[in-house]
Amino acid sequence: MSATGIVFDIQRASLHDGPGIRTTVFLKGCPLRCAWCHNPESQRFRPEKGISGKTYGVRMSVESVMDQVLADKDYYDLSNGGMTLSGGEPTAQFAFCKELLAAAKAEGIHTCLDTCGHLQTEKLAELLPLVDLFHYDFKASDSNTHKRFTGVDNELILNNLAFLRSSGVRIILRCPQIHEVNQTAAYQTCLAEFRADDSIEAVETLPYHATGLSKYGDLGRVAPAFAAWKEVAAMPR
Amino acid sequence: MAGTVLDYATLSCGLPGMRTRIEKRHSECVSESQKEFYTGCLLALDVLKNSMQILAENAENPDLKSDLLHLQKNPPATFAQAIQLFWLYAIHSGTWNYGRLDCALGPFLLEDLRSGIITESTALDYICDLWKLMHDYTNQYNNRVIIGGIGRSNVEAADVFALLAIKATRRLRLNQPQLSLRVYPELNQTLWNEAIEAIAEGCTFPILYNDMVNLPAVARAYGIPETEAAQYTPYGCGEYVLGHLSQGTPNGVINLLKALEVALHEGKDVSANRMLLELPAISDLTTFEKLWESYSKVVDYYVSALAEQEALCYKVTDAECPLLFISMLTNDCLEKGMGAFGGGSRYLGGTIETYGNTNTADALYAINELVFVRQTCTLDSLVKALDANFDGEHKTLRNELLLLPKYGNDHHGADEMASRVHNHVCLLAKSKAAHVGLSSYLVVVINNWANTLLGRYTLASADGRMAGEPMANGNNPSPGADRSGVTAFLNSLAKLDPSIHAGAVQNMKFSREWFGKDRPKFEALLKTYFLRGGAQAMITVVSRADLESALLEPAKWAHLLVRVGGFSIRFIDLPEDAQREVLARTLN
Repeated sequence: MSATGIVFDIQRASLHDGPGIRTTVFLKGCPLRCAWCHNPESQRFRPEKGISGKTYGVRMSVESVMDQVLADKDYYDLSNGGMTLSGGEPTAQFAFCKELLAAAKAEGIHTCLDTCGHLQTEKLAELLPLVDLFHYDFKASDSNTHKRFTGVDNELILNNLAFLRSSGVRIILRCPQIHEVNQTAAYQTCLAEFRADDSIEAVETLPYHATGLSKYGDLGRVAPAFAAWKEVAAMPR
Repeated sequence: MAGTVLDYATLSCGLPGMRTRIEKRHSECVSESQKEFYTGCLLALDVLKNSMQILAENAENPDLKSDLLHLQKNPPATFAQAIQLFWLYAIHSGTWNYGRLDCALGPFLLEDLRSGIITESTALDYICDLWKLMHDYTNQYNNRVIIGGIGRSNVEAADVFALLAIKATRRLRLNQPQLSLRVYPELNQTLWNEAIEAIAEGCTFPILYNDMVNLPAVARAYGIPETEAAQYTPYGCGEYVLGHLSQGTPNGVINLLKALEVALHEGKDVSANRMLLELPAISDLTTFEKLWESYSKVVDYYVSALAEQEALCYKVTDAECPLLFISMLTNDCLEKGMGAFGGGSRYLGGTIETYGNTNTADALYAINELVFVRQTCTLDSLVKALDANFDGEHKTLRNELLLLPKYGNDHHGADEMASRVHNHVCLLAKSKAAHVGLSSYLVVVINNWANTLLGRYTLASADGRMAGEPMANGNNPSPGADRSGVTAFLNSLAKLDPSIHAGAVQNMKFSREWFGKDRPKFEALLKTYFLRGGAQAMITVVSRADLESALLEPAKWAHLLVRVGGFSIRFIDLPEDAQREVLARTLN
């Protein structure tokens, strides 16, 4: 019997989640609580109903997700695209995540995994043969800062990154640029080192945006007190 | 005459060549009516010759003067003279769709470039001047120029013209001519690149047609061999005519959503307070198929009437007006000695414009789902809600209706209903041709802005559309109803069978994001859509912010072109409800 999981969105023809034309499947639930999270509706591991009546998250089978993914296979083929699993943290629903990746691989679909890297290294190892490209987050170089703004320290995450780098898989490092969190000399030095290293294909810096702020209200939650919100709110549009 | 595209291959024999051909027929023919026809044609040529004389006498430009004098007695010898003769034929015949100008003018252009008579830059100036003439001959729903495609005899020369044609369109950024490119796998790569550049810049041109789908589709729809189908020529808002082989104008118009409304009101047009035909009461519509039957009756009644009207219109046209220029430049007319509408044209077909297709399909899907499958409301209460325009207590029902699956999301059930509505009206119209004695009578799913106009007179509908609101455009989803990504949208479009109609327009609005570093993705998207059976693409590239700014400060946005349906226009020239409809469409 195949796994089921909570999906909070499926975006077809997504342009920003890897090479080519892709379908991005967003799995709900995350072990981190990044202060700047722009998808707060993705954090909890169960479907939620917003104050507006909008439902966030629905339980789906691997087959029903794959029905939608397969509907655009010819677009992937011609554009060198594929399926991206994102979240939340997709590996947090491990069995579901692994089966989705395996199902895509079985159909000859390129796979990309957007991950924060916070999972047991043994589990990450299980996914290696099923993932063509890792989008790996690098949020803060200093462990205390990492813990303060995401809820977990970065030891496991950095260890997993080292493991991936030694495994010879394709890695693109995704680095949100947030003044209060990581605009430090130490972080920039790390980025420079990663850029210079062959084991990492590219280092992408992501401009920070505050789309998450408005969603907390509908979820009946209070956005974390976080200076960057204000920075963004003050930015010219 | 919109639905007529002349045989401009005859440009090469010039006025004297045409005269010789007609004189020969005239001297050989036996029947009185043929003699009359040829005499008329010769008189028409005299008129053309006189026009040249008058224009030459009044011409300030000495080159123009000498070209006109030359053309009175000789075939065109240069690109400039060929353009001149083409344009004189066009305005004398009263036609404003020009067909494959790359075939007609390309050989003259290439010859002049090779012999050094003109440079590429002068040639581009000439084409720009021609485009301005077309623009001044103002008819935004027509003025079509076709380039590219299968079935061109001198591809090299045609491509030279086609490339400059796109460059002219990019330089001028006008809403006319409606430059249309027929795409096929061997299409010149430079031409393709230039086309994508033009689209990326927001020209809304060229409109793209996919020959791999359209050739077999046209052959099947018209019941003709593919060699003839290769001359399919989009004109006007997107109807096809078989270039210089057929006639097809003017169109009948039917609002399918109104037909459903009438079926839900026992045969009455409520807004006009008029009984149209006798239909079962709501209480008797106990199954979906019974409702479908009532709807079909309304559609059948009007499609039959419109087919008869079309045939009658042709008969009167022939009797009252032999249209000699059109006839002498349409295949077979000279051979037969008959006018284009009196048996001369090889094919005399007609088309009927259908509107509200998508809303009708989404409404029928919703009715079936809520009334007959889930049985959460009765047909009677639903119709009451529609009549009340979802006011007061009916608001919740509208929300329920809006949440149901809609065409445009690659959703099996919703798209299947769209196909059913599409197949039904297309096959019905097709079947009427034989009854009324036309070679073909086919649906076209195009749009001037009748979706907005007819929407004003249509009650609220079960897809959640409010009374008076615009209906969806052409084959497109209702504005904003396609929420599953552009691939899902394109997949839905490609499901509607193109081989049973004579043209459908598929509008799509893209953000500029697709045309920077992601341009290869855009090209892959378009190519995949074409491989999946997509017949056509009209692409507006625009940002939401631009459209909103243009609504507020029109004076600053005179350059902003949008594709509305079967025509492009400066956004600021649209009436406000049409502007809002364009704005509401999904931006991919």
